[in-house]
Amino acid sequence: MLYVKNLHKSYQSGGKSCPVLKGIDLTVANQEFVAVMGPSGSGKSTLLNCISCYIPFEEGCITLGGQELKNLNEDALAKIRNEKLGFVFQDFMLLDGLNVRENILVPRIIQGEVSEEAGKLADSLLSLFGIEHIKDKYPADISGGERQRTAVARSLINKPLLILADEPTGNLDSKSSRAVIESFENAREQLGAAIFMVTHDSFAASFCDRVILLKDGCVYNTLKKEEKQSAFQDRLLTAIKEMSSADARTGR
Amino acid sequence: MMTMKMLENKLQKTDRKQAVLYLFCNFVSLLLITAYSAMMFSPTVLLALPEGGDSRKQMIAIFVLALFGCVVFTVYASGLFFRKKAKQLGILMALGASRKRLAPGLFREVLTLSGASSLLGIAAGFPFVFLLWNGFSLFLVDSEQMTLKLDFKCLYLSAAFFVIVVAFSCLTACRYLKRTNIMDVVHEEHKNEPVKEPGRWCGAIGILLVLAGAVCGYSAPSVYMKLFSAYPSALINLFYAPVFAGLYMIMLHTVVHGWRSHQKHPYKNIISRSMMKFQGKQTVNNLLVSTVLIAGSAFALFYIPMLSVGQTMEIKARPFDYSYHYRMDQTVPKQEDITALAAKYDLSIKDYRSCSYLMLAMDGTIEIEDEGNTFHYEHADLVQEAKFLSESDFYRLTGKRISVNKGTYYAISNDEETGTYYLNTGASFLTNMTTRTTLPVSFAGFAHYSFLYDTVGYYILNDEDYKAISNGLTPDWQGTVAFFNISGKDSYAFAEDFFHTLVSSFGPECEFPNYYDRVAKIAANEAGKIYWGDTDVMTHISFDNPDTSDFRAYWTYMPKIRILDRNDFSRTFAVFLMMFLFISIICALAAMIISYTRCMTITLNNRYVFDDLKRLGASPSFLKKEVKSQAEIVFKIPSVIGMSAMYFLYSMIMFANDGKLVSGEIGGLAACLGILVLYAVIIYLVFRCSVRKMCLQLTIE
Repeated sequence: MLYVKNLHKSYQSGGKSCPVLKGIDLTVANQEFVAVMGPSGSGKSTLLNCISCYIPFEEGCITLGGQELKNLNEDALAKIRNEKLGFVFQDFMLLDGLNVRENILVPRIIQGEVSEEAGKLADSLLSLFGIEHIKDKYPADISGGERQRTAVARSLINKPLLILADEPTGNLDSKSSRAVIESFENAREQLGAAIFMVTHDSFAASFCDRVILLKDGCVYNTLKKEEKQSAFQDRLLTAIKEMSSADARTGR
Repeated sequence: MMTMKMLENKLQKTDRKQAVLYLFCNFVSLLLITAYSAMMFSPTVLLALPEGGDSRKQMIAIFVLALFGCVVFTVYASGLFFRKKAKQLGILMALGASRKRLAPGLFREVLTLSGASSLLGIAAGFPFVFLLWNGFSLFLVDSEQMTLKLDFKCLYLSAAFFVIVVAFSCLTACRYLKRTNIMDVVHEEHKNEPVKEPGRWCGAIGILLVLAGAVCGYSAPSVYMKLFSAYPSALINLFYAPVFAGLYMIMLHTVVHGWRSHQKHPYKNIISRSMMKFQGKQTVNNLLVSTVLIAGSAFALFYIPMLSVGQTMEIKARPFDYSYHYRMDQTVPKQEDITALAAKYDLSIKDYRSCSYLMLAMDGTIEIEDEGNTFHYEHADLVQEAKFLSESDFYRLTGKRISVNKGTYYAISNDEETGTYYLNTGASFLTNMTTRTTLPVSFAGFAHYSFLYDTVGYYILNDEDYKAISNGLTPDWQGTVAFFNISGKDSYAFAEDFFHTLVSSFGPECEFPNYYDRVAKIAANEAGKIYWGDTDVMTHISFDNPDTSDFRAYWTYMPKIRILDRNDFSRTFAVFLMMFLFISIICALAAMIISYTRCMTITLNNRYVFDDLKRLGASPSFLKKEVKSQAEIVFKIPSVIGMSAMYFLYSMIMFANDGKLVSGEIGGLAACLGILVLYAVIIYLVFRCSVRKMCLQLTIE
């Protein structure tokens, strides 16, 4: 469903070009829950932002649902972001002036007038993620976990092919993190969405079907979940440790 | 169900605070520009400030500064508004809103805010002018000439500024919509704007540039004229450019390094220094604009004490209460008439003394304008008219004995020999304008008697020379000068009556200003040319309006009357004084509002820093100190630099006039210093209010 091939991206700093992604190849299948992990500066968020078309990239191609993204114009990209992708950010990115229900409906409002069906879907998402009781509250009045669940609900309102989540549990306590991960699982099971999540949190990653380890802009390793969640988390930690040891061996 | 328009309306409500700040900035800018241009185009002001005169040039120069300040301010306000708006835009873009989808709402909002605030500002400009001007009339000074008349041509300037504000807002909106990196848009609000760190030499070089620019800018026109024998264009003012570059460098140094050495205590004030440094770009721009406005305001403010103190001191130092002079062909009140007039007011006059003088032509070198803005110097036999006393008459009149050799002449100057450029010290012969006989002379030096110092100068001749040259001179080329005192306390009513009686006794042949030279007119006519004073170029005065400032300042036979000059000073110069006070208020208001807005921006941008400091256990007094240090730079630096630079420039101009500072100028400069202290106190109060508001915003108790 998502194909990323030979993706290159660099940033300009002080007149110099600093490569961040150096030829990334990856795929995400329908209804798959994939995490990307790696140390700071490995290019995780940049990868996510390139897939979201939030930032331009220099080389490579990204195909979503059979559609090549690189050559699309602004309007077409906006349509894809709105209809085929859902986003969850570390700092929630909710609009302060709207209440929880209205925030969930924003992608629909962008599409046009909100239908009765969309309202019903918003209500069902509210109940699915256990935030029905705060639907009239504003972001400033709810907890971090509730905000993130609102963001997850918002990402699903247009029934996207893929949810892109950037450190969705980064600002949350363990209870809230658990709730958010459960939201993703619910979304996948009940709404058929695929999830591509960037995270530092091995606990959150251990719920995924597959974890891609990124290092210095390249895919270092890919781990597939074949065991129970807790065992998978142990394996993940070992792989991360190995990746760090490789750094130590090369003196980096 | 909710539509995009409803969503945008809801989001606009959330941004209310930011929108109010934006509205306020535009409103104030347009109000100030409209008020200033309304005054600048007002017939009341234009009549008082003659075209091509220094006062008019100063008014326009300060307007340009204020305009520059307001443009930078509105650009800044618009940037600020969009920085806050960016997060909203970024989220909507991230969620799939295309430019086309966002554009109508965004432009609607921007056009409404910028258009409405600008129109309100323009509309408020006129009541503002009206209130301020009539406030002046009510509380400070009132005169017939101060009746405010407005010319709505000034709206052209306001309209142009309105277009700039609206166009810039729309351009900024376009710029944000066109950005392809959505993450940049989302995080725009938290983006720092650090300045490139210059070396520690930056401040010192800045000061040198300011000094060099002031000296170069001031002396460039005269150097240019000497070098090229041509009049410089307005572009010559570009020599002042190093002043602005220097000011920028000083501001940069202040923001990046500060003026204290941090070698001993490198961690002292590290938080406030780094906060300032990371908002550097905008802060430096703001400081520069505020400095320029405060300097403009101080310059306008200095006009009042410099004019009034010198004048007051001169009036006080006069040895006689009254002095008047007239042509011999005029029938004006003599001693007995004045005594009778004084008796009507229960007054008596004393110390009456008078003497006659001759009006002769002097030769000299004159500047002849050529085509193409160039000029050359030529010797002319008939250059100017001058008043000559005999040495014995000078003694009778002043009690000062002076011995004048035959064939020489003395020029009468004030005691400090300032303004001697009005006097001809290079004449080689004098001409009797009736008989055209000439007397060869040479300049012997200055005689001092301030009371006889006049724009149409007085000179002293040897008694024999005086007698020889006066032969055949008709009464219209002869005159009398008289002084007297009032026994006891003088009466304003008598002085006014005397003045009006005197004016009405002159014939229309004397209805001309002191820069109308009869000798130059005859010379021009004899050369087949029209004298410039007979064209529309010259400002005319009329006996019908003897109380106007033009008449009192320029009538060639204007008497010196201590009580009248002292009491009517503010009335005579009312329009001048009020206009400059007005300019000063406008510039000061603009500077203080810019500084206040900058403080509020610092609060908004650094809220998270203060929150973090609170979490790290910073006490309220520590936080308050940090807030204060931020506001201090914003207020203190422009005030100190703007005021001291203008004080220095003014002192330099005073000194450069005649190579010294005379008592009137020293007195004026001392008064300016006092006014600066008052001005500083007002700025300090605004600073205190700003700090209090910043603490309130940051919830620091």
